[in-house]
Amino acid sequence: MLNKRMLLLLGIIMSMVLVLAACGPDRESSDDSESNDTEDTEESENSEETSDDSGEESSDGISAEKPEKLVVWADEEKSVGIEDAIAAFEEEHGIEIEVSELEMATKQKEQLRLDGPAGTGPDVLTLPHDQIGQMAKEGLVDPISVDDETLGIYTDSSVQAVTFEGETYGIPKATETPVLIYNKEHMEEAPESMEELYEMSQEFNGDGKYAFLALFDNYYFAHSILAGYGGYVFEENDGTMDPMSLGLNTEGAIEGGEYIQKWYEEGLFPEGIIGESGGSTKTGLMEDGQVAATMDGPWAVQGLRDAGIDYGAAPMPKLPNGEYPQTFVGVKSWNVSGYSENKEWATEFIKFIANKENSKARFEAVGEIPPVQSLIEDPVIADDPVSKAVAIQSERGVPMPNIPEMGHVWEPMAGALQLIATGEQTPEEALNEAVDTIKTNIETNQ
Amino acid sequence: MEGNEVKTNHRKVALYLSIFPGAGQFYNKQYIKGFFFLILGASFLAVFYDLLNIGYWGLITLGTIPMEDHSIFLMVQGIIALLVTVVGLGIYALNLLDAYRNGKRRDEGTEIQSVSKQYHNLVDSGFPYLMITPGFLLLIFVVIFPILFVILLSFTNYSANNSPPANLVDWVGFKNYIELFQLDIWRNTFLNVFSWTIVWTFLATTLQIAVGIFLAVLVNQKELRFKKTIRTIFILPWAVPAFVSILVFAGMFNNTFGAINTDILAFLGMDPIPWLTDPFWTKFALIMIQSWLGFPFIFVMVTGVLQSIPNDLFEAATIDGASMWQKFKQITFPIVMYATAPIMITQYTFNFNNFNVIFLFNGGGPAVPGQNAGGTDILISWIYKLTLQQSQYGKAAAITMILSLIVITVAIWQFRRTKAFQEEDMM
Repeated sequence: MLNKRMLLLLGIIMSMVLVLAACGPDRESSDDSESNDTEDTEESENSEETSDDSGEESSDGISAEKPEKLVVWADEEKSVGIEDAIAAFEEEHGIEIEVSELEMATKQKEQLRLDGPAGTGPDVLTLPHDQIGQMAKEGLVDPISVDDETLGIYTDSSVQAVTFEGETYGIPKATETPVLIYNKEHMEEAPESMEELYEMSQEFNGDGKYAFLALFDNYYFAHSILAGYGGYVFEENDGTMDPMSLGLNTEGAIEGGEYIQKWYEEGLFPEGIIGESGGSTKTGLMEDGQVAATMDGPWAVQGLRDAGIDYGAAPMPKLPNGEYPQTFVGVKSWNVSGYSENKEWATEFIKFIANKENSKARFEAVGEIPPVQSLIEDPVIADDPVSKAVAIQSERGVPMPNIPEMGHVWEPMAGALQLIATGEQTPEEALNEAVDTIKTNIETNQ
Repeated sequence: MEGNEVKTNHRKVALYLSIFPGAGQFYNKQYIKGFFFLILGASFLAVFYDLLNIGYWGLITLGTIPMEDHSIFLMVQGIIALLVTVVGLGIYALNLLDAYRNGKRRDEGTEIQSVSKQYHNLVDSGFPYLMITPGFLLLIFVVIFPILFVILLSFTNYSANNSPPANLVDWVGFKNYIELFQLDIWRNTFLNVFSWTIVWTFLATTLQIAVGIFLAVLVNQKELRFKKTIRTIFILPWAVPAFVSILVFAGMFNNTFGAINTDILAFLGMDPIPWLTDPFWTKFALIMIQSWLGFPFIFVMVTGVLQSIPNDLFEAATIDGASMWQKFKQITFPIVMYATAPIMITQYTFNFNNFNVIFLFNGGGPAVPGQNAGGTDILISWIYKLTLQQSQYGKAAAITMILSLIVITVAIWQFRRTKAFQEEDMM
């Protein structure tokens, strides 16, 4: 008896609670008092801060109220490159810039997801361009309004890289792409074509020495070959990519796969550089001076320098079909947070720190190559062989697709390339299967 | 007594009055307590009204306006609201129960206990409960909360394509679970990963336990000299952080440059083995490595147990003419197992979720055609890839749920069968 009654009572209470639940937030009267506590306080702070300088708004041609400070997240160990530009900006506009360093590839994204809604996020952050699509979809970064004149100073591929669904999501900051890095002890001059490397491999290889090594089981590197033969990741129409139209098992891509398989099949690439720890193994061989040439990014140079290797660098040599390999170009960019209260000023700031002078200063300080067209010819870059090679190769390459669906491409492609490398499957089988997998994964994730 | 019960019906009146917290206590003339419940009820509603309101609304709708409503935060708030409600209902039930009990006392003509008497009762007999309460409340939020979060997440379509705040997450029911078995590629992957996880758990763990016990018994032989040195050497694999050992192994097993192929197998005149590119050999290597990493713990533990076995047992056995094997089978092994079985079982659950060795050795590779995970991925490393590399949170949560169910079932079943948990003497 009692138990039944108790249950009945509990039932009544539960249903009361559920009725209560149907109320939801009372948006009309107190929109931000309930659900957006943090925003509320932030707004009030801002209005306090900005009340002082309300008189000088119009002098900068920006209608938005001038904030007291902008928070900038710079890449780890790279903020030294923008110190002077920040000082100049602070002096010119009277806005304090607070810079903190945060690892760019993953930390900034993860941190923004938490800090943004909490109101402690930055106004300006910096991202690799291939994250832009995902973050734009999540509303973490906002499109910026910049005129063609501002964007005109950057290379086309870098502007394309920061464009997502037809809108500009950032200002290019730096560019990088794999190039041919060679050991001058074994190779006096960079070869003109991959065929030369191939022929050299057949004589030079043996006794733990290799004429040319590349991580072609890693899709980041292998794309250059597939694309060089005519493959592509997603079909592109008017700046928008179609995630369901893949070009990774086209005739050209398969031909590229066959070319890749040739290197492994004939033992020119050892099995030991396939898979998870292949990269470190390859780097080790290169730094031991066992390898004449390798395909790697500018980030590999520091290790070679430390190992005392006399290295040179050149753009990637031509493929047997006469085309240049189309390497994946990565562009780092300055972006405006979707949570920023001062988007116009944040935009103004990133335009300023990435302009030609400041880009050049940044290059001199941290060595990351700015995708500013006129700087490629500038002696600062042209005199440094690695920078020059990267700059030239960047123009020949294609930016990594920045749509979120790209996240589904890496794993299956790595798998397919590994199967090609170990000879488990023919390139055609492997690539067809990879495309199927990618499509299923994209579909189930819609 | 019986006549009394018919005439008065205080217990029911008190119970119904108590629907409004405290009223029943007032009716029972327990004014202080009634006041206490009233205040508690009122403040509960006042303090938690917003939380409960937004929480339940959010939990049901998961937000309605993108950018303004953050589905995942709403879900978190909803779970907190749920937990707060449970605690609130608990106190409410206490209120009802108290009114009913005291009403019953009045019906039966027994004296109602005063507040100070009840307080003394509580302190005297309920002291352990009083001490546990804060910890228990903490436990609700630290343990129950994340579990509820994963459970709920597995019923949503939360993934990279569908990430707040720009998008709203929706409830999709069992879609994640169904797709796991419906779509060819997911089913293949799930079955392959699952079966390898089971094989891996049993082979690696059994091997490490067997080796551990074998060596411990061997080293424990009286005739053996330099015991300390030998034991020290056997503990070494445990002393070096597994993280480092596994990475070193990854280098040693390298197909072309690793010491195993170039030095050891070459010295024995064997062909190099594709340790890192052939799924079978990668699995073989992983099981060997885990046995090597895992046996010292068992070795140390069993060595400890062996010290405590009384010598007369063996002496008696020797007099009866028992062989070495008989002594081991009848005396040593049962005693060792009795003392250590629970820990042995945790070894199985540990390896079931042994992310380190799988991930660090070959990243779950090598690739195998027609599936979403690598050839040596176990469930936990696959979940890692799904969440951190492919951002398929909903699906990963569903797999996590399946994985937890397996571990929980096995653990409960095994622990219940283990004598060590039955609080009784061995002999």
